Formats: sequence, structure tokens, C-alpha cells
Amino acid sequence: MPRAAKTRAAKTRAAKTRVTAKAPRKQAGFDAVTLEVIWRRLIACVDEAAAALVRTSFSTLVRESHDFSCILTDARGLSLVQATKSIPSFIGTLPATVKHFLAAIPPEQLAPGDVLVTNDLHLGTGHLPDITVAKPIFLDGRLIGFSASTAHAPDIGGKIRSPEPREVFEEGFQIPIMKLIERGKVNETLVNLLRKNVRTPDLTLGDLWAQITALDLMEVRCLSLMADYGLSELEGLTDEIMGRCERAMRAAIRALPDGTYRAELQTDGLMDKPITVRLAVTIRGEDVVCDFTGTDAQVDRAINCAMCYTYAMAVYGIKCLTSPNLPNNEGSFRPIRVEAPAGCIVNPVFPASGGSRMLIGHYLPPLIFAALGDVVPDRVMAFPGSPMWGMNQSGVTKEGKPYANMFFYNGGMGGSPRRDGHATLSWPSNVSSTAVELSEVIAPVRIRYKRLRPGSGGRGAHRGGLGQEVMFESRSESPIAVSFLAERTLIAPPGIAGGAPGARGELRLNGEPVDPKRQYVLKQGDTVHLGTPGGGGWGDAGRRDPALAARDRTEGYVPEGVTD
Amino acid sequence: MGGTGTGKARAGGDAATLSLGIDIGGTFTDLVLYDNAGGRHWIGKVLTTPDDPARGVIEGVRGLLAGNGIPAARVARVVHATTLFTNALIERKGAVTGLITTEGFRDVLEMGRERKYELYDICLDTPTPIVPRRLRREVAERLGPDGMVEIALDEAALLAEADALVAAGCASLAILFLHAYANPAHEARARALVAARHPSLSITCSHEVAPEIREYERLSTTVANAYVKPLAALYLDRLAGELRALGIGGPFFMMLSNGGLTHVEEAKRTPVQLLESGPAAGALAAAFFGRAGGEEALLALDMGGTTAKAALIEHGEPVIAHSFEAARERRFMEGSGLPILISTIELIEIGAGGGSLASIDALGLLKVGPQSAGAVPGPACYGRGGTMAAVTDADLVLGYLNPGFFLGGAMTIDPAKAEAAMLPLAKATGLTATEVAWGIHDVVNENMASAARVHIAERGKDPRGFALLATGGAGPVHAWHVARKLGLSRLICPPAAGVGSTIGLLMAPARIDRVGTLVSTLPGMDWAACEAAYRALEDDARRVLAETGADVKRIAIRRFADMRYQGQGSEIVVELPKGPYSARSVPGITAAFEAVYRALFTRPLTGVPIMTVKLRVAASAPVKGATVALRAAGGASAQAARKGMRKVFFKDAGGYVDCPVYDRYRLPVDRAIPGPAVVEERESTVVIGPGSRFRQQGDGNLVIAMPGTADRAAAKAKAKAKTKANTAKANPAAKVRPAAKVRPAAKARPAAKARPAAKARPAAKARPAAKARPAAKPRRAAKPGRAAKPARAASARSKPARRAR
Repeated sequence: MPRAAKTRAAKTRAAKTRVTAKAPRKQAGFDAVTLEVIWRRLIACVDEAAAALVRTSFSTLVRESHDFSCILTDARGLSLVQATKSIPSFIGTLPATVKHFLAAIPPEQLAPGDVLVTNDLHLGTGHLPDITVAKPIFLDGRLIGFSASTAHAPDIGGKIRSPEPREVFEEGFQIPIMKLIERGKVNETLVNLLRKNVRTPDLTLGDLWAQITALDLMEVRCLSLMADYGLSELEGLTDEIMGRCERAMRAAIRALPDGTYRAELQTDGLMDKPITVRLAVTIRGEDVVCDFTGTDAQVDRAINCAMCYTYAMAVYGIKCLTSPNLPNNEGSFRPIRVEAPAGCIVNPVFPASGGSRMLIGHYLPPLIFAALGDVVPDRVMAFPGSPMWGMNQSGVTKEGKPYANMFFYNGGMGGSPRRDGHATLSWPSNVSSTAVELSEVIAPVRIRYKRLRPGSGGRGAHRGGLGQEVMFESRSESPIAVSFLAERTLIAPPGIAGGAPGARGELRLNGEPVDPKRQYVLKQGDTVHLGTPGGGGWGDAGRRDPALAARDRTEGYVPEGVTD
Repeated sequence: MGGTGTGKARAGGDAATLSLGIDIGGTFTDLVLYDNAGGRHWIGKVLTTPDDPARGVIEGVRGLLAGNGIPAARVARVVHATTLFTNALIERKGAVTGLITTEGFRDVLEMGRERKYELYDICLDTPTPIVPRRLRREVAERLGPDGMVEIALDEAALLAEADALVAAGCASLAILFLHAYANPAHEARARALVAARHPSLSITCSHEVAPEIREYERLSTTVANAYVKPLAALYLDRLAGELRALGIGGPFFMMLSNGGLTHVEEAKRTPVQLLESGPAAGALAAAFFGRAGGEEALLALDMGGTTAKAALIEHGEPVIAHSFEAARERRFMEGSGLPILISTIELIEIGAGGGSLASIDALGLLKVGPQSAGAVPGPACYGRGGTMAAVTDADLVLGYLNPGFFLGGAMTIDPAKAEAAMLPLAKATGLTATEVAWGIHDVVNENMASAARVHIAERGKDPRGFALLATGGAGPVHAWHVARKLGLSRLICPPAAGVGSTIGLLMAPARIDRVGTLVSTLPGMDWAACEAAYRALEDDARRVLAETGADVKRIAIRRFADMRYQGQGSEIVVELPKGPYSARSVPGITAAFEAVYRALFTRPLTGVPIMTVKLRVAASAPVKGATVALRAAGGASAQAARKGMRKVFFKDAGGYVDCPVYDRYRLPVDRAIPGPAVVEERESTVVIGPGSRFRQQGDGNLVIAMPGTADRAAAKAKAKAKTKANTAKANPAAKVRPAAKVRPAAKARPAAKARPAAKARPAAKARPAAKARPAAKPRRAAKPGRAAKPARAASARSKPARRAR
């Protein structure tokens, strides 16, 4: 695919990739009422489509963890509205993917009934299971916008999710930007190839059609809205919506003192060698630049965090701090620029693998908090016990059928200016834990305990949230292969504003600590113990409210004998 | 009372024909007495007495009976709904509750699903666990997912932990063991042991409340039940005793969240099933009025002072959900409450109410709610010191409300103050006061329409297949424009909006829902076990229905299953063909699943096994006396019902237009009247835009054909009239309606005024003709309960029809 090659070349050449949402010019007059009503209805359009997608999807990640998004854009690919239940990563990536579509297949090559598709690691979300589709919307023969959706597929082939793949080729089936449907006609060649390359062809394709149902629905609803309000294009509306969000965001940034604020952290990395991520946040007037210069190079493991994901995580962190209540659209993100040198781990280049990109990416929002901790001490929380933890297991059932399951477990939130960190809460992602009873039904395991880890929250005026500990025992006569998403087993989540770090994570096989980045094979009776990290504390522990300290002792949130 | 009644009136012989409905809300307790023989009803409304809710009820009932000269012995049955238990959860006023659970899992209650309900708030609060950690105890025991015992229950440890919890002050105990849905033996044994040692301790086991897989949701439900159970027992025993002391001897039913009735013992056992009983009654009433209006698919909108709620009615029945969230930490925020696994009429909060306030947000946009003016100071137009613009203020500026006839004239509202409240918003937005008022109205309507669209989409349906039914004080004011936004063809405004939900209590069947867990693919199913599981659920449901006094010969049992394709993450509820099941049932069950799947998702799949996760049974039986038939009074003509004209704002008409104002109580029956129009009644005002037509049906429903739609009601009425004419000779009762119609109201009214006693002692006694008229007249009947309050104008108005006889 020459087009893909060109994109790739461009990426490699760039000394430094800059991602920023560009401001358009046009201005139209919508009053406070008309805009509110139309906007509300646009949100209903995407939420309606999201509801249809959730209901028709096979992926538990889509259904229970809302690991998907739906948006409507104008003809320029600028996003108007995004589904309310989107997760932070897709809020940042999906609008960019639509613009990549537009750049690769210009309007004159688009026709009614087309649907575009890709799961390109760099143009999409940073890993292959996320498939993005977009449908051009036409009114009177003129392109007026796109409906688009990203969703996490049940399977995309390649090696079962773990940090082990060294190149993207090991991670599954890659779809360059192309037409999945051309003028209503499905590209059967692509469909056949996809079916052949994934473990769950019916489910993966089922989810893809579910996404397309959502695109159709958004198209119908958008056109009917335009008819009701006599709109012939969406540009004016986009400019108005984005303009207002941008102004509000700029006002929030302007309230912060100018300067360059730095922070850095180390992750467990490849276990024998930590990975350092360096960040400088520069606030100048109404603009913010997040610059990751100085960050370590990409690695030959699937923890590389593609620039699209880096961007999404950075703007998520900035938005939490500055304007948490603004609606999700590009306007809010326009004043934010994210930069990283090509080839570093937060902007890896081809053929880097990135299936477990969250093992770097989830560190970035709290790194932004750390950088701005002195600037807005009343709005930042300490480092949480993330990246999220997970255990992937695969094997063969008694009946001889292959199976694979992924179970997720979360650590504690960091202490914040207003309260102790929440115990076991997914952040910055939003992925629920699998019920114990359900785990035991679908996998040949027993869970011996799933409980809080008393004392794992970092001490502070507001202590960190507790992590949890879970023990699996294999009941399977045949071997079970297990791999993990497990970070912070070496480097604890730091506190902030004088708070102490939370407890490190623990991974033990039959009681012995093991390297979480490797795959293991369990035989019957083997046990795995996961201890997710606690959050860091906020503020000096000496200032802790004695009532809270007393509660911690009464309720056993700190182990007996430990004073707070 | 509960459990012993047979549904027959005990005292007073044939005179015991009355049903009494009691609905305790947060502020008011509504009472309705309905005479199944005469078709009349009487309404009462008293303040709720939160410190001792039974007191308010008893005072209200006593007043209602005495005020209308009705002997208590004439009450054949009592049906009760209440929000008390929901409020106890929200306000955390339940019992000190302890938990005993499987070793290793006491923190499940606190860890929850590990998801956040809001993405950007790093300090968000989630509900504090109802049982604090120190009162959550563990004992050694373990079952496998197949229900096999892997570790025996440590009975000594169990008793030691129970002793410790009682010593720590627990009055109620929740017991949950892992996989108890598959085998309740350990929970049952634990209950027996603890109950023997601590007879006064209230105990709730998870398998009794929600025998469903997924421990957190089951635990949350079990603990909520344990938390309100002592309170429920105390309250229900007291109320039952007091009613008996009043001389009401008939059976006493409780309304469940699913819209069915049960007896008091069942309600005391699992009060968590009653959490949504009040709103359920409202949805039942909506379904009833919808059916009367010829609509089986309804979007029922109830818009009150602080909030608007919606329920969907399909095939004439409210849609049932199998879980909901109680006590949300943040309004409208899914995931911020306590998950409760019960079958419940599905209700969604879809928007603001009449008291909700308008403001300009950080983006310069006009927003309405969720802040509310409340009762004090209330909207600016109340003149009680409020200055911010509320929805009611906007409705007044637009001419939808009558300043001299708010709440039937019980209260005056000030248009000047309403208009003044628009000015700051006008200044901030550069709009005129009228534009702001219309903006508030329009934004509120769009919020409701958008929420309804998404909700209907979640069910895989198209909104245009529904008619809108509007209740609540503000519902009929906003409904026309909401229906317009949704592209609906029909709007129904039932009579007596203020008492509608209480009436719902009186038409409920006895209904018991039961659920069990059976995780299996259809190809791998042990059909004997499946059939046995259904039988067990059905037997239990039948037993409770029999205790309720329902007619056991007429029990209808429906089987459902929560099913999905293997590999999917969540299930859909499918109604299955009748049993008994065997391997031969596979095609029928597959077809049932695929039909529902297709309706929701368009395409069933091939090559993926279908599986069951939960089995459900819904058993219902008619309850004697559970029928209600209402009749409208019926004025002479549209002209006669016309109160006057006023300027009313319609965007469709380009601004303010001269619009006729009608008195709902004098509207003729079955005459099409063109919009625009405003129809005033005591509790609300129906706003009808240009291009549409409306008519009052014989049962008092106001049915509005939206612009550009055929007047189906007219066609139906015509067909009906024909039939009536044909049967009139044979059935003298059929004459009643035409007679009422031709009688000129003007003539009737003075006669009514001349009647002494009519005002203070409405209708009930004074009417010899009552027997001859089988159907009730809601307007007239609505009077008595209010007679003590300011409803004088209404009593005069409602008389003409009576005289017409």
C-alpha cells in the first residue's frame, strides 16, 4: 500500500511529531437557545448510535467497559460531538483518525454508501484490536460530514495479549486505510482475509457490522436534524461549538501562571532496566505544550505508546486539571499541543509493537499532575496504582476447545485535595473488574481471595486508595498459559505535596515473586497471587484528620499496629 | 391481614365493594377509594409523616371515610405503595447491618465494579458501603460454580462471628456465600443456625433475594434488603394493625416494583422488591389510560416540580427491567448508585421539572436544571422571593399558564415577576424576554426528547411507534412540543393527572417474579435440570400468589430466560414458549431468542451457540375487584366549554396568537376541536398547538392528533358510535352517554348551585342514581378529598353532568 508507506515514511522522517488540533475560521450565528437545542440533539444522535453499538457488540470490553466511541464530524473531519460514554483514549484518538481517512482518501474519491476502515497502529489508537470505521455523509450530493466509530474487537489475531511481541507483525491482522464498503458494496476480499486471520471470525465481524449499524444510525439522525433546522452544511455549527469550547478552555489555561513545569518518572520497563519518561509542560498565555523530549527510546516489547495514544492521555490529564466539565470535542483540545521525538517510547516508529501501550500510556495523565502539582496544588491527585492490571489465560478445555480470557483488576486512586484516594478504581481508563463467580464459570480456576490490601495506600493528609489482592488456583488438568499486565512491581506510585508513596504491586507464582513481563504455564494446583498497587498519598501525613486516622484503624484499612 | 385474605369482602356483606389505594410519597400521601360497584371514586391527600408514616395514612383514611360518610366495613381491600424504603436507603436511615460472607471476599461490597461513573472528576464520591468493613465478617466455606461443596461450612466460626456482630449492635444480618445461586445449602444452614441463636435478629440470605450470578450485584441487593427489613416489618405490621383497628377487614396488598401485588408477609421478607412501588403504580395507570385511548405502545411522561420521569409501555404493559440503581450519588449519573437486582418497571429520569431553574453556562448556552427553585422560594412568579427564572415562569410568559387559575385558582401567579426573571438571561444572551422564555421551554423539551430517543434506541425501537401520554403538573404543558420533536402522531392527556398513579394501585394484578441461575449453552443443556429449575421457581411463585388470595385457577405463568450468544458480555431477556422442556424444545427456544435478538439488533448470528445465564418466571393472577372504569362528564359543546381567549406563544405559528381557552370539565365528549387551544384543569394545563385536533373521549382521556396525522380517534369514535347505536336498545346503559352530551351545560349549572350540601358532602351519599350509572366520573369524584381544600369552583362545575341524569 503506497499510501501507508508514505505515512510511515513521513513519521520516520519527522524529527519531532507535533499533534495539535487546528483552528478553522468560519463563523456563524447561533443563539444561546438554538445552539443548546441542536447540540443536545446531536449528542442524542451519537448516544443513540452508541446504545445500538453496545447492544449489538460481542466484545465484553465494549459492553461492560465502554471500550468504544462514536462521533459525528463535519466535512473537514472536525468533530462536533462524541458519545457520552466514550473512554478517555478514544476521545483523543477518534477525531484524528477521521482526519487521517480524509487525508488518505480525499472527498472527490468518496461516494454515498462508502465505509472506510483501518486499525493502523499509528493512525488509530495505538494497538490493532481497535478498529475504526467512518462513513461519509452526503446531502444533495455534497459531502457534509462523517459518522465514525472505534471499538475494541473481540480478537484481531496475532499473539495473545501480552507485552511479548517485538514487532507489530506479531500482534495480528493489520488493515491499512481502505474502503470496507464501496457504494454499498462490501469488499469481500477484505472480509475474507480478516475472517481467516482472527480466532473469532463471527464475533469480530459481528462487532464490525455493529459499528456500521451505528454509523448508519448517526447518518440518518444527523440528516433529519439538518432538515428540521434547515441546515445545508455542518461547518458553521462545528465552528460555533468548537469556538465556544476553545474559548472556555483558553480562559481556564489563562488562569494558570506562565512557565515551564517539569516532571519525570520511571516505569518498571523491561524489569532489568527502568524506562524514564520526561515531561515539560509549558504554559504560555492561553496555550499549553506538553513536550516529552528526553524520554527513553522505544523498545522491542509491546509497551510502546503510539503518538495518538500519547496525545489522548496528555489532553485527558490537562482537561481533568483545567476544565473537567467541558463537553468532549476538539475545541476543548485546540489550545493543547503535544510533542515527542520520533523513536521515543511515547512516539515509537514502525515496526514498533504496541498491544500493551497502556503500560506506558496510563502513566502520562498523573505525570502531568506531577508537573503541575505546584501550580494547581488544589486540583491534582497523587499517582494512582495504575496502569491497570490484568491476567490473560489461554488453554484448552476438557472438550478440547481452545479458550482465552482476560481478567482485569485495578489499583487504588491517589490521594486528592478533597479526599482519600478511592480503593480499587479504574483510572485513567475505565475498565471494570470481572466478577469472581463469572471468572470461575468461564475459566477452570478458583479464586481464593479478592480483597483490599490494608496499608497499601500511601500515607498523607489524604492517604492513597487501597489496592487489592487476588489469588488464582488452577483447576485445569491441562496446562494454562498466563501472561500479565502488571506494572509498578518495582517502582511505587509516588505521593504528591508531601504525601508518601503507595505500596508496590506484587506478582507471585506459588508464593515466589516472578517477572510480570513473561509468560508462564500453570499446572493443576499452581497459584498466582496478584497484588495491585495502592495510590500515593496527598499532603503531609502529620496533617491528617485524627478522625480519619481512627476510622482507618477501626475499619482495618491500615494493618494493626501501624499508626497513621 | 396479609396472607389470610381471600379477596372477598368480609364485613358488611354485599356493601363491601370499595378498594382503598394508599400511596406514600416523600411529601404527600395520596389516598383513593374506588367503588367497584358504583364506579365512583373519592380522593384524599395528606402530608406524609416521616417520623411515623402509618400515622399520616391512618389519619388520612379516617378523614376520607368520615368525610364522605363511608363505613370502614365497606372497604373490601387495601393496596399500598410507598417510597419509604427508598428514602431509608437514600437517607441511610435503616438498621445497623452486618454481613457474613465467604472467607476472602468481605471487601466485595466496597470494591464494587471498579469503574468510575464520571471520567474527569478525580475526587468523585461513590456510595459509602451500607455495611462498614468492621461489620463484614468471613467464615470458611466454599462452593464451586456447579454448586458442589468444596469446603464445608465452619459452623462454630459462623456462630462466633454472628455473636460478635450482634454484640457490635447489628439488628439485621446479610449472608452471602459465593455461588449460593447454584446451591443455597450453606446460606440456608447459616440462617437456621444464627436464627436459632439470635431469634430477634433480622436475616437476609442472598439466594432468597437475588439468586443471580455476579457476587457484587447480588451482595448489594442482599445488603439493601437487610438494611430496610427491620423498618419494613415494624411499619407494615403497625399499618396493618391500625387499618384493622379502623374496621377495615379486607386483605392488605403491597405493590411491588414490577407493578404486581403481593401480601404483607412477602413484602416484609424482601422489602427491597418494594423500592420502586410508587412509580410502578404511576406506570400502571399510564398503561391503563393508554389502553383506554387505544394505544398499546406509549411513552409515559410524568413531569412534576423537580423532575421528569418516563416509562415505556409496550403491548399495553409497562416495560420491566431486571435491575436498577437506588440512591444515586449524582443525579442522571448511571453507575453512581447501588445496583439492585429486582424486577421493576423501568423508569428513567429524563429531565427537569416545573421548578427547575434556567442559567447560562460557561459556554454561554442556556441550560435548565438540575438546580431547582423547590417549594420555597419557588419560581419567581409565585411571588415568594424567588428571582431566578424557572420553567414555570417561562410557561407563564408564553401564555401556557393562566395567572388566575393556577392549581385551579388555589394560587395566584404573577406574570410580571415571571417576565422580570427572564431579563437577566435576556441580557446575557442578547435575546428578548419572550425568546428566553421560549428557549427555556424548548431546551427542557429537547432534553426530554433526546433522553427518550436514546432510551427507546436502547430497546431497539423507533420513537415514532409510540404515543405520548403526559401526566404530572407540567407534563401536559410541555407534551405537545415534545411529541412534535419526537415526530409522534398522538398525544394523550388522561383525566385527573394528580391522582393517576394512585388509581394505578387499584388495577394491579397479583404478580410474583422469580429468578434463578443456569449457565449453559442450549446444545449442552441438561433439559431435565432446566425443567426442574423452572418448576421450582413456578411452585414458589404459585405459593406466594395463593397466599395473596389470588384466584389460583387463573394463574398465568410466563417463562423467560436471560440469554446471549456464547462470547457476548451481556444478556437479553427472552420470553420462552411454554414448558415442559426437553431436548425437543431447542428449536422453539432458539426461535424465541432469535426473534428478540432480531428486534433489538437486526441480525441474528449463525454458528455461535446460544446460552442461558438466568431463568425467570413471572406468575400473575387477577385480583378480585382490580378493575377501574372511568367516565367523563361530557359538556354540551366546544363553544360552551370555552372560557375565553388569550395570547399564547406557538413557534409554529410565528409567535403569540389568539388562542381559545377551554374548561376541561365542560368539554364535550367525542367532538373534534381544532388547535391551537389551551385546556385548563385543576392540576395542569394542556397546551395544544396549531394544526392539530383534540377530542375528549368518553372515559375522560384527552386525545390529541398531532399536525399532519390522521384523526384516528375520530374514525374510531365513529365506528364505536355506530356499534353503540345498534346496541342501545338492548342495553339501556349505553344511552347514558348520548344523554349527557345533549344536555346543555348552561342549564344544568344553576340547578347544581341550588343544591345544598353538595359542596361539603360531594356525590357519594346523595345520589340515588349511582347504581344505574356503572362508570365513574373522574372529575366529579375527584372533589371530595379536596373539598376541605380550596376546590369550590370545581364542585360547582362538576355538577352539570350529575344533573344531566
